[in-house]
Order: sequence, then C-alpha cells, then structure tokens
Amino acid sequence: MSSSKSNKIVKLESSDNKTFEVEEAVAVQSETLKNMVDDGCANDTIPLPNVNGKILEMVLGWCKKHVDETVTGDELNKYEADFLDLDQADLYGLLMAANFLNVKGLLDRVLQRVADMIKGKKPEEIRRIFNIKNDFTPEEEEEIRLENAWAFD
Amino acid sequence: MEDCYSIVRRWEDLHTDILVKIFQSFDIFELTKGIAHVCSAWRMACCDPLLWKTLDLSMLKSDFIMIQLEPYVYVNSRSDKTLTRLLKISLSLSRGNITSLIFHFNLYVNDEQLTYTAERCPRLRRLVLPAWNRIKKTGICKAIRAWKDLESLTMPNIADPPYLMEEISKNCKNFSKLKIMGPCNNSFACTLATHLPKLKVLSLRCSIIEKDALIIILDSLLHLEVLNISHCLLIEVRLRPAPKRVVGEIDQSIREKASRLREFITCTKDSCIMCQRTKNDDGQIRWYRYEEGLWKTDEVSSLAL
Repeated sequence: MSSSKSNKIVKLESSDNKTFEVEEAVAVQSETLKNMVDDGCANDTIPLPNVNGKILEMVLGWCKKHVDETVTGDELNKYEADFLDLDQADLYGLLMAANFLNVKGLLDRVLQRVADMIKGKKPEEIRRIFNIKNDFTPEEEEEIRLENAWAFD
Repeated sequence: MEDCYSIVRRWEDLHTDILVKIFQSFDIFELTKGIAHVCSAWRMACCDPLLWKTLDLSMLKSDFIMIQLEPYVYVNSRSDKTLTRLLKISLSLSRGNITSLIFHFNLYVNDEQLTYTAERCPRLRRLVLPAWNRIKKTGICKAIRAWKDLESLTMPNIADPPYLMEEISKNCKNFSKLKIMGPCNNSFACTLATHLPKLKVLSLRCSIIEKDALIIILDSLLHLEVLNISHCLLIEVRLRPAPKRVVGEIDQSIREKASRLREFITCTKDSCIMCQRTKNDDGQIRWYRYEEGLWKTDEVSSLAL
C-alpha cells in the first residue's frame, strides 16, 4: 500500500539536550525546518540551540494538532486559545521559538496574545506584567511628561 | 534556588521588528495610551516609521453643539483637550514621518491644533478633512504652506474656497487629487480651472452639481484623468419658470466631452440607495444619518479610505 505522505522522521534537539522525533509532515509546519528538509540537511539530528525542551515540546504539539485531519475547526480554536494561556516567561520563550522556527499561524497568534496583554494598560501595569525596568533618563522622563500634558505649551 | 531575574525574560530586549509587528495591530488610542512610556526600547519601537505612515483620527468626533454665531459650532473643552493630547503624543512619536492624515467630518479642529499638526507633518501627501468651521483662513493657509508635498485633499463643504485653491496652487506643486464633500457650483468650477488646471483626479460624489459647472470642469481641466460624479444631483440653474431644475440624465454632449477621460464614473439610477439619499437630503448628503464610515467610500480607489 503506498502512501502519499513521506514516513520520514525528523530528529530535533533542544538547547537543554532533549531530543524529539516527529514525522516530516509535522516538522515542515515550520518554514525553517521545511527549508532544511528541502535542502537535504535534515538527515541527522537538527540542533536548536535557541529553543528549550519545554517550549519545543509545545511547538511540536501545535504542529501535530494542525496536521491532524480529525480535529474539527471548533476543537482547533479551543486548542489555540488554551495553548496561549501562559505566563509571560513561557510566552516569551514561545515567541522566540515561533519567530525562529517560523511556524505558520503560531507567530501571529502569539503576537496577538501579547498585544491583548498590552492593550489599554498603563505603563506601570505593563512593566509589572512583563517585568520591565523603567530605564528612561531624567531628560526623557521630562519629554514624556510634557508630551502627556493637555495643552500645547 | 534559581535567581528570579534569570528565569524572567527581558521583554525590553525583544527585537524592534517584533515589537513593531505587535504595535501595528494597535489603533491610535492604544498606541498613545502608554506603550511609548514603558521603557526606552519600546519607545524607540513606537517611533518606527512603519507605524506612522498614516495617522487615522477618523474615529474621533468632537463633542459639539451648533450655535447661531460664528463659528457656528461650540466644542466642549474636554473634547478639545482629548484631541490636543492625542495630537501631541502622536506627532511626537511620528517624528515627521506622517504622509497621510485622516480626520472625521465632525471633528472641529481649531487653528492652534491645525498649525501644531501641520508643522509636525512636513512630509504630508494626503489630507482628509477635518471640519473647518473653527479654522480661520490664515490658519488653513499657514497649514497648506507647511505641506509642500501635498498631493491629495478631501475637503469638507466650505463657504469660500478660492483662497484655498490659490494657496494650494502656490505651494503644492505635486497636487493632483481632490475630493469635495459638498456642492459644486459654477464659481467653484471656475476656481478649479483657474488655480488647479493640472488636476488629475476629481470626486464630487453624493452632492449637487450645476450642469454648467460640470461643463467648465470638462472643458478646462485638460489634465483630468478621472472624474467621479456618482450619486450626484445634476441641476440646471434657470431663473424662469423655476429657479432650478434637476437634470435626470447626463446628456450626450457631456458624455462626449467626458470621453477623453480615463474614467468617468456616474450613477444616477433611481434604484440606487446612495442616489436616493442624496435626493432626500436635498443634494447635501447628511452622513451622520447613515452607517458609520459610509462617508469614507469612493468609487475612485485612491480617494477611498
């Protein structure tokens, strides 16, 4: 019985030395990995020094879900919503991974999630949520204060 | 025990491209609320030219009432302050990169706000409205002088347009597209012929046009390529028996004159809802009555929003 899909397995290694084996069809959801496969560089284990095991597992889970033809549209929507319910540290890792691996749809969803976490919040709130340090110089602070005034002078 | 700081990622180190991508989905309120005040890296991303090609304030309307004395409109001061603050932050972050500026027809900008804006958008190529009731002639002329690269203007209904056209012809050498949201009579057509003979695109849609004005336009604007008179009320001004007469169809002589145009867009169908609305509103369509944003459409794609 012939199959139209290749049964090739792609091996990946995360930054913390965890290895993952996935079907090629799953791996090529990532444009970056797809290019490697197309260029014939995917025969040995592909090292991913900028993605840790926890995040890589998540990303591969996403890819698997999106290749699975038994999943309905509604199920997929719910999956995607739950998927992005992460703390900011994991979200950051996921953003970096999605960007590097160039996974269809994932990067856009992560960016949207980050955007939703930022929208409508005051600067102090945003700094608190994302653990960002206020690094403005006194001159810049003054420029900002003037910018925020309600009159032109 | 791991150091908390090392687990927690540094969002301020996010590559500018990614930050800009996130900010591109924000509207002007969200952009100016506070993200530029989080940290210096985010502030820099907020100033990226990609975010500031267009400043779209078309969701902002003044809180106003109409009054009997000039300027015939009174704007609530809180409404004014909101606009001022929004302009200050936007124009500061935009670093002079704005090329399109879009207002709402019910946003009553004052002289100070207009001048402040014009000075900080030196590269402006397209201006859409706002209402000019509170702006003096000197104010608008000063603004036009600051916009040497202006190519396209959508103007509200104003009483005495010649001074404006003259200022544009003196200062805006690349000016080629005009959309008028108001009636076009003979004197306006003459003004266009005198001061904007190189006009390429003109939209007069959903208004009242005098037939003679249309002829003047077609005869005098020799560089005109696109003319949109969709959903207009075409009238002939006569003294007797009735002062004006609505001309139903566009006659053959006009069509012949218009045949040299690349696009002559018309619509006078009785069944067309926009044509009906223009008729019901006596030739001056009252946009506030209809769907929000309806005023933004135009059959000419370069003049649509």
